This record gives sequence, structure tokens and C-alpha cells, in this order.
Amino acid sequence: MKILAALILVSTCAWAQTKVSGVVKDTQGEVVIGANVMIKDSYDGTSSDAEGKFSFKTDEKGAHILVATFVGYKSFSQAVTLDGKEVVLNIVLQEEANVLDGVTISAGSFTAGEEKRRTVLKPLDIAMTAGATADIAGALNTLPGTQKVGESGRLFVRGGDGNETRTFVDGMVVLDAYGAAAPNTPSRGRFMPFMFKGTSFSTGGYSAEYGQAISSALVLNSKDKAESNQTDIGILSVGADVAHTQVWKRSSLSGKIQYTDIRPYFGLIDQRIDWITPPQALEGSAAYRTQVGKEGMLKLYGNFNRSSMQLYNHDILEPAKKQSYDLTNTYQYGNASYLQPLNENWNIRGGLSYTYNENAILLDGKPIGERESGTHTKVVTEYAANDNLEWRMGGEVIQRNYEAYQLNTTTQESQKLFFQEVITSGFTEAQVLVHTKFITKAGGRFEYNSLTNAVSVDPRLSVAYKPGKKGQFAFAYGMFRQSPKNQFVRLNHALQSEKAEHFILNYQVITDRKTFRVEAYYKQYKNLVKFVNGNMNDLNNAGNGYARGVELFWRDSETIKNVDYWLSYSYLDTERDYINYPTAAVPTFASKHNFSAVYKHFISALKTQVGATYSYSSGRPYTNPNNTQFNSDRTPDYHDLSVNLAYLPKPNLIIYFSCTNLLNNNNIFGYQYSDTQANDGLYKSRAIQQPANQFVFLGVFITFSKNKSVNQLPNL
Amino acid sequence: MKTVILSIFLLLQLTLFANDAKYKEQMAKQIQIVYQSETIEELQPAVNALDRIASAEKTKWEPYYYSAFGSLMMATRSTEAAKKDGYLDAAMAAIESAKKINANESELIALEGFVYMIRVTVDPATRGQQYSSLAFQTYNKALNLNPENPRALGLLAQMQFGTAQFFGASTEEPCATAKKALEKFETYKSENVLAPVWGKSITQGLLKNCK
Repeated sequence: MKILAALILVSTCAWAQTKVSGVVKDTQGEVVIGANVMIKDSYDGTSSDAEGKFSFKTDEKGAHILVATFVGYKSFSQAVTLDGKEVVLNIVLQEEANVLDGVTISAGSFTAGEEKRRTVLKPLDIAMTAGATADIAGALNTLPGTQKVGESGRLFVRGGDGNETRTFVDGMVVLDAYGAAAPNTPSRGRFMPFMFKGTSFSTGGYSAEYGQAISSALVLNSKDKAESNQTDIGILSVGADVAHTQVWKRSSLSGKIQYTDIRPYFGLIDQRIDWITPPQALEGSAAYRTQVGKEGMLKLYGNFNRSSMQLYNHDILEPAKKQSYDLTNTYQYGNASYLQPLNENWNIRGGLSYTYNENAILLDGKPIGERESGTHTKVVTEYAANDNLEWRMGGEVIQRNYEAYQLNTTTQESQKLFFQEVITSGFTEAQVLVHTKFITKAGGRFEYNSLTNAVSVDPRLSVAYKPGKKGQFAFAYGMFRQSPKNQFVRLNHALQSEKAEHFILNYQVITDRKTFRVEAYYKQYKNLVKFVNGNMNDLNNAGNGYARGVELFWRDSETIKNVDYWLSYSYLDTERDYINYPTAAVPTFASKHNFSAVYKHFISALKTQVGATYSYSSGRPYTNPNNTQFNSDRTPDYHDLSVNLAYLPKPNLIIYFSCTNLLNNNNIFGYQYSDTQANDGLYKSRAIQQPANQFVFLGVFITFSKNKSVNQLPNL
Repeated sequence: MKTVILSIFLLLQLTLFANDAKYKEQMAKQIQIVYQSETIEELQPAVNALDRIASAEKTKWEPYYYSAFGSLMMATRSTEAAKKDGYLDAAMAAIESAKKINANESELIALEGFVYMIRVTVDPATRGQQYSSLAFQTYNKALNLNPENPRALGLLAQMQFGTAQFFGASTEEPCATAKKALEKFETYKSENVLAPVWGKSITQGLLKNCK
């Protein structure tokens, strides 16, 4: 009976309650209304009221943990002793870092992520930008920091040449990210935008993880496991494609085959090029994703492409004199990446990529082609102590084999040139959230180049400060290097890396559906390749240059219903003394003013999305040999108004139409001159232009899947 | 000694019974609030209370279910996209916790589909594709687990109707699904006294658009 009495006593004792009260505020001192304050693992607790105050009584006794939570804040916990004496607490909730309104590293980068978080451009935006013809580089060319270089199709960033932008897929380098194209015709990126869930386009000051790029890094993250089985068929005015995705419980496999033949199209539209055989291409790609164990993810991706074209180049002085140009490009790319979380704080990721690119070129039957193959191996470990500290370090090896045939100008015979380069690098970087308003990321990159025996260490630094709820200031600094173009290294293996130092200041305001940003930068180029006394076979690293500018960006999808538009403007002041330049001069790819306006409107009643893009570039320099001053002439300004239209008559059917240069402007990118003077003593010129002023595209896309609402809209 | 053991046994029984009664009573009270509240200010304390119950009752999926449902309701009441996503994140987290307790509960999976459906409404242009196909799939999964679940059917009808309307297609299929859902709402009875009962009026509203 004694025991029963004791038990009853214990039970009774438990009924002696403890009062818990206090107030909940955030780090700014604002009261938090509706926070959940509770004794862990019990029913006891309450919500904070309109003044942030809370008060409740609990039957629990002894040592317990008090927890306070609220959406968007880190959960708060504190040990309390419940002994009948009132517990009074002032709770301060910390905002969750990097969520919604958090401070983020922003200088120099445009992040185009999926869905949720506020991002500047989304994958669908890339696909549906008029004038971009679903090319990633084409869409990014409507962002500030880029220059329109119509005859190339590559990304030219802040006074940098096209080869200074490097593409990475799932962290792995792509040696040649653009398809083959005839001289002075634009090339397209080899990767379709729909493959990626996120795109980060950095115009400077990027992470120490990315090397071998002195102007820009385009980081593409491929999609995870697909969610549903489907088959897609596309019938295009220039070919056809078919794709299929098969999904299993833990893995998915997608494949696509595409055939492009521009011949029927060229029959309809007059071209400036004297084609023997217009471009044809066969392309296939496959992606496999599988979960490994509980949390590991393995991604495999492979791509092959074979394209060919033949054309005649005509002499400028004597157009009847012609030379045949025959190009066959063979490309293979494979990429495997693996991510494995080790525990709550650590994860490890790694990858292997392989690129093979061969341009078999015959100039009047003589080989002048090139072949490059390379592998990239990388391992990175990442550590996240909490939301305030992240740290990573990694190592990588990029190995390249290159060989080429060059026409010897004296003997008129082809000769073989080659090199082999191994770059071994390591990097480390730490990101510290010093305060909810202040974040900093600092690191460094070590490189050893086997060809030059050079060792280097490059620092990187980014900071951002967010004083209020919306606006944010950021700064980035970094030293970047990359091996010179293959065409130079093959002649002189001792050439050092070209270098660029970036200083970037940024201010941005991002609200739900509006973005404003302004960025100013200064860039110093060193070690650029230079021809000694103008001799293209005698090279050194004596070149240098600078670029500086201001850029503005505005995007608004809120003010006008169903309308989304953005405006970008870039001002660029740059000069370089490199390659054959007799003195520092504005390079031929640089234009002082670039402006883009992109407009998209969804008309529900017509089930149609219409889009338009207007682009403007001020004139680009070129050298007129009839004028004694180098690069002192300017091309006319560039104007382009492109439109597109996507009509969705049925859930699984899309009819897509696009037309570039609607106003049929005669855009000129530069001039080529004859090697010798004509009878009147003047050098004769020929304008560098696109093969045709306009490109018209029509496609019909059909999707078959179990649920009928799926269509190919995101793929376009 | 026998008396002592018996007493302890009785006392334990009594405590357990009392606990269960407390659980049911508390749940009934909060479920009522979640069903009837119109504003975030009213919903938040109920969601908080449900989270507290969930933290004490480690083997019950229902507190998480109603917490998620309440967060989902807050998402629909909120006007700011970023906040909507915050509530939807909270709803998803609660659903995930509940799935750890009972992974094959059709009601949980149907609610997960509902979260995807609301995700679409935050940014239809960007999310339409991904989340609407996820929602369809999830509703079908819920129906595979329990073909009688009226909420899974009703939500599926909603999704089908929206798609048909957007493309100007025939609403025959969605209306048939909605009709079937309404029948299930009339006949379906769960053995679980805390099982969800919402959704009938949504389906009735949908059927008004059907001839």
C-alpha cells in the first residue's frame, strides 16, 4: 500500500505547475508573432501573441528543453528547469541564412536556378527568349556584361575574347562547348537548355573551384532523376528529333537523337555563302541518373555529334578565283559525376569528364585540321558546420592532347604540330556568414602546368552586405589565369598562362517579381600572347590590356499582367595590346554600348506565348589598310528585332515559330580586306555578315506520356 | 503484493487512457480550428498546437497531417510568393515527418499532391510543367494506396479540370472523376476517428461547372 500511496503522491506532485513566459523577437529586434514556444516532447506550449509575448503553464517537472520555432527562422532551444518557479525568457530567433531574404554572394554572377528561390533567369526563360533560338549563349547574350559578336555565337564577356568564357557541366570542364561552324558564321552551344535545372553565368570574380577561364564561367547543373515516362517527337523546318525518357524507382534514363539538314531551308532562302554542301549534323545524347545507397547520386551523360559542310571561299579582288573549304567535325563528350553525403556536415563529390573534338578541314584538299582530346578528374569535399560556416577543398587534373596541321606559307605544304599539357590544381574556399547582414567567401587556387613548369597561386574574395530587407551591396576580387589558345601554344610550348585580375562592385534589389541591379568593374589583363615584331610564328607573353565598365539590369514581371520583360545595358571601355596589334587598341570584338530589351507575353485566350527581343550594339572597330591608323574604323551600329511564338492547341502539342531580324537590317560585323592592292592602289573590302539576314524556324513538338498535360514547352 | 501490482497496472491503464483521451480531445479541438479558420492569424496557433502534439505523440501521423494541412491553408491565404513557399516548405516537412511514421497512408500522399498543386499557383509559367505532372502522379499514387480515398479523387478532378480548361479541351473526364469523388465522399467511412473529412465542398463547387 505504501508504494501505491507513493505513486499517487508522485502523480499529485506532478500537478504542481510551472509558469513559462517571455517574449520572442528576431535579430533586428522586431517582435515575432505566431512563433511556437513549447516544452520539447510534450503538449505544453503556446504561440506568441501580437506583441511577441507568450505565457503558458506546464505540468512537466525537472530538466527539460524549451523550443521556439517559426517559418523562415532557425529553431531556438534552451535547457530549462521546471520546479514551480516561473521561467522568464527573452527569445531571439535567427533568420535562416540564404533563404528568401538572406544575404548572398552576388557580385559578378547571374544565377538561373529552378523554381523556388529568387533567381534572375530560369531555364524556361532561356528557352523562350526570342532571338536566342533556344541556345544558352544566345539567351545569356541578352544579359549585361556580354557583347554581341554576331559572326561568332560565343559568349564575349567584358572585353574578353570568346575563348575566355569556359563552360562547366556538373563541375566538369567542357573543352569545346560550341558546335563547328564555317568561318564567320555563328556557332551554337552543344548543350540544350532543358538538360539543366540550374545555370550560373558569372561575368567575373567567380569561385576558386573554377579555373582555366580568365573572363567568365558558365556553370551548368544537370537535372536530377526524371519523374515520368515520356516520348517526345519534334518535326522542325531544318530536321527532326526524337527523345524518350524511362523512369524506374531509383533511376532514370533519357536519350535523344537529332538530325539537322539545312539544305531544304537554304533552297528557300538566299544565302551569302557559296555552299557546295550546306551543313548537316547527326547528334545523339543520353543521360542516366541513379540513386546510390540512401543519399548518393550518380549522373552519367554522353553526347556525340558529327557534322559536315563544304563551301567555296572567293577571293576579294578576283571573285572568280575560289578555294574549297571542307569541314567535318566529330565530337564526343562524356561526363560522370557522383555526390555522396558522408554525414550531416560532410559530403564528397567527384567526377570525370572526357572530350574529343576533331575538326577535319581540307583547304583545296590540303589538311589544316586539328584534334583535341582531354580528360578532367576532380574530387571535392565539402563541410558545412552550420548555416554560418561552409568550407570546401578539392583537387583536379586536366590533361589535354592536341595536334594540328598547319599550312606552311613558304612551302604551301601541311605540317604537323602538337602538344600535351597537364594542369594539376587544388583549391580551398570558406564561406562565413559573419552576421545575418554580412557574408564573406575567401579562397585560393593552386595550379601546376606541366608544359611550362609554372606554379601559381591565385586568390579569390567575395563579400556582400545587406543593410535592409531588400537592397544588397557586394564586392568581388580575384586573379584568374588560363592557357593561351591552342593555335598559339602549338607554336610555342613555353608560353605562360594569360592572366586577368577582376575588381567588381555590385548593388542589387530583388523583390518577388522585380530585379534591379547595377554593377561596375575594372579588369586588368597581363601576359597576353603577343607577336614579336608582328611575326605570327614568333610569340611571347608581352601583351596586356584593361577593361572597365558599368552595367544595368532591370526585370519586371509584376507591373503588367501576363507580361515579363527585362532590359540590360552595358558600357564597355577596353583596350588591348596583344597578338598583331602595333599598339594598344580597342579589340575588334568589343563594342562600347550594348542594349537588350526582352519581352514575353502570355495570351491565355489564344493559348499563345509571344516574345520579342530587341538588341543594339554600337559599332565595332576594324582595321582598314587604306587608313594608316590601326583598328580606327567603326562598323555601322547593330540592330536586331527578333520574335517568337509558341501556340499550345492541345496539352501535348506545341507549334513554335521564330524569326530573327524581323526588320531585315543589314548588320555588318566587320570587313575583310584583300591581301594586295587593286589597280586603283586601294585594298578592296568585303563585309563580314551572317549567311542570311534572317533565320526563320518552324517546329511542331508532340509529347506522349501517361498524363496528358505534359508537353515539351520547357525543352524549346 | 497482488493488490500493489494490480494497482500499478490500473494506474498505468488509467494514465494511458487519460493520455489517449487528452490526445483525441486536443486533436479534435485543433482540427476544428484548422477546418474553420479563414486567416493566417487564426491558423498559425492551431498549426503550432498540432506541432506540439506531434512532438509528444511520436507514433501518430495525424498531428503532422493536420499541421501540414494548416500550413497549406496559410499558403493559400498568403499574398506574397516567398511567404507562400515558406508555408509550403513547412507543410512538406510535416508530411515527410508523417511519412516516416506511416509511409503508405493514402491521405498523406494526397495531401502531398495538394502541396504540388499549390506550388504551381505561385509561379504557373515556370512551375506548371514540373509540378503539375508531379501532382498528377502523386494523386494517382494516393489512389493506388486507397482507391476509395475521396480527397485524392476530388483533387485529381480539380487538376484535370484546370488542365482541360486551360487548353479548352472537353471537361468530360474531369467531371466524371469529380462525380465519382462525390460518391466516395458520401459512402467512404474511415475506421480512424481522426481521419480527414474535408474536400467535399471543393468537389461540389467543381461539379457546378459540369453540366
